[in-house]
Amino acid sequence: MKQARRWLLLAAALVLLPQAAYAQRKPKPPKPAPPTAPAPAGGTSAAPADADADANAAAPAAPAAGGDATATPAPGAGAGAGGDDICQITPDAPQCAAAKEINFAEEAKKKVHAEVYAVQQQYVIKARRFEIMPYYNFTLNDQFVGHNGPGLALNYYITQVLAVGVNGTWYGGLNTDSDFNFQNRRAARIAVPLNNYQVSGDLNFTYVPMYGKFAGFGDFIFNYDAFLEGGVGLIRTEPIPVIDPDNRKFDWNNYVNFDLGIGVRIFFTRWLAAVLEVRDIMFFDKIEALSIASGSTTSAPGTAGYANNPLNPDTWYDKNTHFTNDVQLQVGISLFLPTSFEYRLPK
Amino acid sequence: MKRRFVKSAVAALAVAGAMSASGAAQAQEVELTGPLKGAPAIRHERLYREGRFSIEPTFSFSLLDQYRRTFLLGGRLTYNIKDWLGIGVWGAYGLISSNTDLATEIDNPVTGSPRDPLTAINVNHTGDPSQGQAMGYAPFTDQTAKMNWVLAPQITFIPFRGKLAIFNKIFVDADFYVAPGVGIIGIQERGDCGPNTTVNGQPLLCSNPASFALTSRTKFTATFAVGFTFYPADMVSVGVEYRALPFSWNRAGFDSRGTGTNGNFPDQQVNSQDETFDFNQMITISVGVALPLHPTISE
Repeated sequence: MKQARRWLLLAAALVLLPQAAYAQRKPKPPKPAPPTAPAPAGGTSAAPADADADANAAAPAAPAAGGDATATPAPGAGAGAGGDDICQITPDAPQCAAAKEINFAEEAKKKVHAEVYAVQQQYVIKARRFEIMPYYNFTLNDQFVGHNGPGLALNYYITQVLAVGVNGTWYGGLNTDSDFNFQNRRAARIAVPLNNYQVSGDLNFTYVPMYGKFAGFGDFIFNYDAFLEGGVGLIRTEPIPVIDPDNRKFDWNNYVNFDLGIGVRIFFTRWLAAVLEVRDIMFFDKIEALSIASGSTTSAPGTAGYANNPLNPDTWYDKNTHFTNDVQLQVGISLFLPTSFEYRLPK
Repeated sequence: MKRRFVKSAVAALAVAGAMSASGAAQAQEVELTGPLKGAPAIRHERLYREGRFSIEPTFSFSLLDQYRRTFLLGGRLTYNIKDWLGIGVWGAYGLISSNTDLATEIDNPVTGSPRDPLTAINVNHTGDPSQGQAMGYAPFTDQTAKMNWVLAPQITFIPFRGKLAIFNKIFVDADFYVAPGVGIIGIQERGDCGPNTTVNGQPLLCSNPASFALTSRTKFTATFAVGFTFYPADMVSVGVEYRALPFSWNRAGFDSRGTGTNGNFPDQQVNSQDETFDFNQMITISVGVALPLHPTISE
């Protein structure tokens, strides 16, 4: 029996526990304006002891004069005592004139040109954050030799739209001489000078003029931005001996390059994004000479005949430098640090 | 009796308690059935495509060409059944073509490919060495293949629809689409030649200058395009598109394959075995007008 009582108490507690939420006090309505509130019909005291009871009783009888906007008598709904009183005393009061003149049905049909920003708050704040971007690049414009390789970019965003950074790409051992070169040489008996790349590095500025969002399948929304970048750096290249592979052994050469790129970042989170960029690395490259020196290979350096010796490295290169565009597609991910940030203004 | 009553009361209170405790779950349900329940991700969306025809003049240029670039002028007509689905056709004519540096280099009469018996099968020339005639220069660029026209019935899927802000001043609606379809391509490439090819009952050897003439052919393939469409106004759109037309053709007109290990050696014949596969990529820029002139707006 004692046990049953305990269960009874527990069950009662369980019943009563959720009711606590329903029993919370209602938020206090604004205090009624004492001077305009009509006296209760019964003529009892206007100052009841319980404030809550007072508010609940007074609210339906007298609209609050102060407080928030919802308490303002709505035009057309001013049948309450306060609204009528005001309009009787001062018929030219703005709210009384509005009640007479505004036709809400007509007003609702009017077209409203509300000014709304296309993207009200940018999804990612980049200012004063670091970006680490590992990527892999694929050659887009060279059907003779593919210069693919991994790279890493580090950027610091000085502002939301401007960053300064460095990037480097490694190509060594990953250059791919196309079969097309061989087919062309065999058929037309003409060789195309080919170059390998080893490494390139650049100091870059990045500008982010575009951002936006897309709805995917009308279901989910993702954010993106698009950026332009440009910079200057160095690239190391060497010709592949095609014309005279028996005598020519090239070394790596350093050249100043300029790079321009355009890319897009698709954000998965506020610190992680996928990056797709097309970048053009431009430089003046030296290529293999198409002709072979006609002299003897036995002439020693310093002798008169050495100038035409096919073993003389001075005869290996074409006399002109060639402006080269290495257009790359870079695919990577972008990590922003710190991973969190705070908006300066509320949404 | 009293004990039974207490037990019943306890049981009733326990059930009531359990039901009361489930009140929180009911409150959660209220959220799910609230005003946003079933609401679309975007309200009052401008449906630039749904129920509209779009007529788009296009300009295309090919990418990564080995011997000849093609510039195509054309148009795309699409009826958009839904905002995410359309059917249409793109057609274009190869208006201009230009030679690549490699083609120019091979063509060069002085420093280019020598016109001698070693290249007689592969490089255009005058005089037939098999007839004991002296060989001379003829343009290599006359034998390189060209793309004359393209017709591509296609379905357009528009999975992504959004907007972008440029310089925080210009706001443009945009969508991203994928358009798979069938590609029908009219090309001209060097015709078949070799001991097994006859013209007027006579074999047409590949060293014969007449064998370098181009022949019209039609290629069928699957094609796809991906692109962005921007809507600066209700009736006008601007688009940029990448397209691939993967098929095999003999772009240089060389005899490259046909015999030896895996057929990787020249066989003194030019035929379909010498064709090489290529994605035949191109970029298309378009400006479109949509009918009716004004888009509908979603709820």
